[in-house]
Amino acid sequence: MNRRATPDNPRTGRGRPGRIPLLIVAAIALAALVVPPLLPWTHSAIGWDAVRAPLFAPGHLLGTDTVGRDLLARTLVGTRVTLAVALAAALVALIIGTAWGAIAGWCGGRIDEAMMRIVDGLYALPFMFVVILLMVVFGRSIVLVFIGIGAVEWLTMARVVRGQVIALKERPFVTAAEAAGASPVRILTGHILPNVAGVALAYLLLTVPQVVMVESFLSFLGLGVQEPLTSLGILVKEGADDMDLQPHALLIPGGVLVLVIVCLTIAGERLRDRLAR
Amino acid sequence: MSVYTVDGLHVRIDGELVVEDVGFAVGAGECVALAGASGSGKSQSCLAPFGLSPGIPAGSARLGKTELIGADPATLRQIRGKDVGFVFQHPLTALTPHLTIGAQLSEAWRQGGAPPPSRSDMIAALDRVGLDEPENRLDQFPHRLSGGQRQRALIGMAIAHRPKLLIADEPVSALDASLRAEIMALLDTLRREDGLALLLVSHDLAAIGRHADRLVMLRGGRVEESGPAARHLAAPTSAYGRELVAATPRLTDPPPDLAETGAPLLLAENVHVSFPRPGWRRGRIEAVSGASLTVHEGEALALVGGSGSGKSTLARAIARLGPLDRGQVCWREETLPERKRMLPRYRRLIQPVFQDPAASLDPQWQVSDIIAEPLRHLRPGLGKGDRAELVGATLQEVDLPAEFADRLPRALSGGQSQRVAIARALVSEPEMLVLDEATSALDVLVAGRVLDLLERLRQKRNLALLFITHDLAVARRLCHRIAVMEAGEIVEEGPAQRIIATPAHRATQKLVTASGV
Amino acid sequence: MRALLFRRLLTAIPTLLCVVVLSFVLMRLAPGGPFDGERALDEETRAALDAAYGLDLPLGEQIILYIGRIVRGDFGPSLVYRDFTVSELIAQGLPVSLTIGGLALLLSCALGIGGGLWAAVRAGRWQDEAVMGAATLLTALPVFVTGPLFVLIFALGLGWLPVSGWEAGSPSHLVLPVVALALPFAGAIAKLTRAGLAKALNEDHVRTARARGLAESQVIARHALRPALVPVASYLGPAAAGLLTGAVIIETVFALPGLGRYFVQGALNRDYPLVLGVVTLYAGLIILFNLVADLIYGWLDPRMRAE
Repeated sequence: MNRRATPDNPRTGRGRPGRIPLLIVAAIALAALVVPPLLPWTHSAIGWDAVRAPLFAPGHLLGTDTVGRDLLARTLVGTRVTLAVALAAALVALIIGTAWGAIAGWCGGRIDEAMMRIVDGLYALPFMFVVILLMVVFGRSIVLVFIGIGAVEWLTMARVVRGQVIALKERPFVTAAEAAGASPVRILTGHILPNVAGVALAYLLLTVPQVVMVESFLSFLGLGVQEPLTSLGILVKEGADDMDLQPHALLIPGGVLVLVIVCLTIAGERLRDRLAR
Repeated sequence: MSVYTVDGLHVRIDGELVVEDVGFAVGAGECVALAGASGSGKSQSCLAPFGLSPGIPAGSARLGKTELIGADPATLRQIRGKDVGFVFQHPLTALTPHLTIGAQLSEAWRQGGAPPPSRSDMIAALDRVGLDEPENRLDQFPHRLSGGQRQRALIGMAIAHRPKLLIADEPVSALDASLRAEIMALLDTLRREDGLALLLVSHDLAAIGRHADRLVMLRGGRVEESGPAARHLAAPTSAYGRELVAATPRLTDPPPDLAETGAPLLLAENVHVSFPRPGWRRGRIEAVSGASLTVHEGEALALVGGSGSGKSTLARAIARLGPLDRGQVCWREETLPERKRMLPRYRRLIQPVFQDPAASLDPQWQVSDIIAEPLRHLRPGLGKGDRAELVGATLQEVDLPAEFADRLPRALSGGQSQRVAIARALVSEPEMLVLDEATSALDVLVAGRVLDLLERLRQKRNLALLFITHDLAVARRLCHRIAVMEAGEIVEEGPAQRIIATPAHRATQKLVTASGV
Repeated sequence: MRALLFRRLLTAIPTLLCVVVLSFVLMRLAPGGPFDGERALDEETRAALDAAYGLDLPLGEQIILYIGRIVRGDFGPSLVYRDFTVSELIAQGLPVSLTIGGLALLLSCALGIGGGLWAAVRAGRWQDEAVMGAATLLTALPVFVTGPLFVLIFALGLGWLPVSGWEAGSPSHLVLPVVALALPFAGAIAKLTRAGLAKALNEDHVRTARARGLAESQVIARHALRPALVPVASYLGPAAAGLLTGAVIIETVFALPGLGRYFVQGALNRDYPLVLGVVTLYAGLIILFNLVADLIYGWLDPRMRAE
């Protein structure tokens, strides 16, 4: 009888699909894609005549860095790289995690037990160190960065998907589908996966900011994306090294990074809470 | 002299009026029942005056001489701790999991300002409510107790501070039929011995008839009728009351007129089903051990038993929708193949309907697609147009308007969902339906209409029904024969009238007593 | 409970073994070794070096020898810090890392649980919205942004605290690194606490407690708090891993002589024994911490003790 405040209580605003946060991320992504080719400078063009240009300097809206590279171009390209790596890695996580979780949940019994033990074991790993290990061993290529990250970020996805599949498998409508003569494959693709999709999407949205964080972390240490390519992590690092003279070189890429993470987290959490009702 | 008097009570939730002008009085040693379907405002009428629901009360509710409406939260809290006890519906979740029974009992005891109870006080208190091994129970956490034991413990805590009024909100609805009678009897005893005033909230008219002195029947937050329970149940004064009483199956009703049955249709012999123990442990738990039953053409057979008796597992094994270790199931002298080899021509014969209407339908599918699903697989030769036509005709048969075809399950009520589930089961023209507690989750009136629909369909299509239920009265209303299950075995079987009139097995007798004869 | 712990230990040991073996194999598969410096070595010197460090033995034998040495606490000599063994580096660096990580864990639990409770009690009001908004922002603040930012504001700008360094763990040198490291975890714990308590306050058993006439503060303290903290307990394992990882950055930003910095140097210079040693040690620590989290879990919910 207790009427509780539902997640989409109009007064608190919680639970509305995170449209505004997603729009902000979309706008940032669009700018990162479209604007750089229109700028007079590339992100790696060194200009010794305009070293450490301040904000709003002529021709350099966000100034330049210690070797005169345009910070607007660098920030946009860095954002593009960071987002691309994050999306790719999150997709890797989505694919591995969904497949692993769906198989474990669907098969059940000993198979499930064994597969989830592996996930438990991997959870106990200091996975950032494993990623670093991978970077050290296989060289610092951008492809490896996202495969490595995706390969460790799938664990949560696998747990979530497995839980969902198990819950759905017990639902009477799945038994009814069996009685209706649907084959296991049909049940999985027609009933189970469509009902898992929403939650998987929510966790995809939550995985992207995680990956953004990991990628920036690696780049900050010099173990991620390599020059001449750049990423938000590298820009933060460069900004931090030069912050006493040019604080905005740290604040701008750092701000973009935080904004992207906050927006994606809010959107993912809202979607997750809405589906959990 | 009444203990608790309610007069002109109104309750609003978020501005919406959910209880309107309700009044009643409970005297010492008396039981007043609030009856009605879910959403009739019966719980709100009980809980809102005491500040236990988000509802805002208005009007008057006096406990002794104290007016509750308008009292500040601290006063209400004192009154709850001193003069009133509460028992709620779900014993499994109503106890705090991380505190022992003793800790919670002692806490309840002290609320009225009494000194902390000694250990022997607490043992006596648990013994009084019929909890076995009270000494050990004090140190146990709630999860070690069964549902019935937990409800006894909760009652013990609710009366630990010697209240004048006990409010029991559906105290037995979540329990097994055989336990219900015991818990209700316990409440009767406490009422008699302590002069406790009991305010009972229940949707079960049969139970109210047995235990309540007076009855307040609510509908949509308003009182439909109120007065002596026995008189109002025998001869309801309102149209709604008559409908409600008529829809409530009772064992004392005149026997229904059921059509003759035909030749044996389904023969299950010596069925065994077991499940592996959870985790890595070895060994299996036997759920059904050597059950046999026969269903005839056009016959309704009830499979009755408590929870955990294995009735659903047996039904699933028969319908080839669950595991089956040993034994065989024959359909007109042909042995049904195992679960994974059920070809469409076999699948078509037996179709299931489940208990939970909301979970029975895929939330992402439209009603028309849900009903058409069996056609797509079981009659693949059918064209799109024929399929749509059949879906439309079946919708009509279960009394749903055609425009329901493009709705999603979340736009349906419980009764409507269950009708869609029945339509899905019917559309492939099966010869037998397996109904697993198909009406248990529905309100009395809705359940009554679904039962009528099933009876009509059975006659029209000469359907055989395997009707799984925990409620003998429901079984009797619809079924020719009854099979009683306990601990994985069928312990008694025979014509419905005979089983109810002269139950032979202890399990059957318990069920009959629980249904109140 | 004992059975549960035993089972966890049974999974922990193979996990640890897998970590060691996998990392070992990966390291050996890597193209290029520690002696591929600026100058190419002649064959003879190289063979001598390989033999000295046991790099000429078959892989399987190397692994077994290595595991045998780890059990005795010997992680071998460091290849980059030539004058030290890995065990010595660990002995120097680990106390620093553990001090920072442990203090940050305490701080984040105190801030997170306190803030979460404060917000949950005010559910739906502006204070709740404000705290939860702040918590979301905190979780999104990477330490490599907050670290330099704090230095910029509090050290370079306001001059309240030192820019970097350790100075034998003097409090003023600890403040900035610990706070920067703790903030994102404090945010995450606040969110979990807030959601956990909101859920717990809607449970049936809390209604029973209220019906009993308990004051709301008692209801929360006795009946709702422990169930509410269950999600926090399950977050402690990942949080510990996150703190150890974050400490790597913090040590780099604030120039602290912790184990994380040695690890980064080892990773950049292919110092196999050092990297392997740190990974093994951290895996062990995290497994240990998960065991502690399980114990807390059992205390919060006795149903977990049964099994």
